[in-house]
Amino acid sequence: MDKKPKKLDGEDEIIDIDLGSEMRNEKMPRRFQRRRQSQFVPDYIDWKDVDFLKRFTPERGKIMPRRISGVSAKDQRRVATAIKRARAMALIPFVTD
Amino acid sequence: MADKRVYEVMFIAAPETADEDVAKLNEAITKLIETEGGSIIKLEDMGRRKLAYPINKKNEGYYVLFEIEGSGKEIFELERRMRVNDTIMRYLTVRVDEERKTAQKLTDKRESRQKRNNERNRSSAVSKNETEEFTAAEAQDNQ
Repeated sequence: MDKKPKKLDGEDEIIDIDLGSEMRNEKMPRRFQRRRQSQFVPDYIDWKDVDFLKRFTPERGKIMPRRISGVSAKDQRRVATAIKRARAMALIPFVTD
Repeated sequence: MADKRVYEVMFIAAPETADEDVAKLNEAITKLIETEGGSIIKLEDMGRRKLAYPINKKNEGYYVLFEIEGSGKEIFELERRMRVNDTIMRYLTVRVDEERKTAQKLTDKRESRQKRNNERNRSSAVSKNETEEFTAAEAQDNQ
């Protein structure tokens, strides 16, 4: 591991997004690859739809941040609410270690 | 509170509950809702499922989903009873009518926009010769 970017705990994927000046170094040119809407969000988000919500909770079970999923702020709120409801009913886990 | 509201009520019964007992429980809930003035839209027996994490040291649960229409009074009574009931490990009530309405509005909006776009494309295709430049720009927009 000689690469500079810090890993968020439990997050295995490193996504090529410019996260800020402190993470830039000389060898790695600044990248402007912003992922836009990599996930499709339907008009009605069903909190019982486990397969759909799984797409927003990678390995660890955390809610995927907006800067990675690329969904709109409004959709992110709706997805987050749905995930929390599903968690309360033990449909998806709070954490997976 | 004269308006009708739609709720989704899901509960998890203990896994060792016999199927007949769950059926009896569902019947009791249906009766309760109807006497309180609500109505059952849907009853979905999801059966035994593995829990994503243990609840009360159990790894399985019997899931049942109700869709209830009513004023909210019956939900209050239902929740009170579910809290007291030992076989019910957990429950969740979600009011869905408003979210569904906004979702439907979005869908309608998108559809009408699509229809409008299609019509515009058709009409512009007819007068292609005159306004070729215009259609080209529009086609690019629609891509």
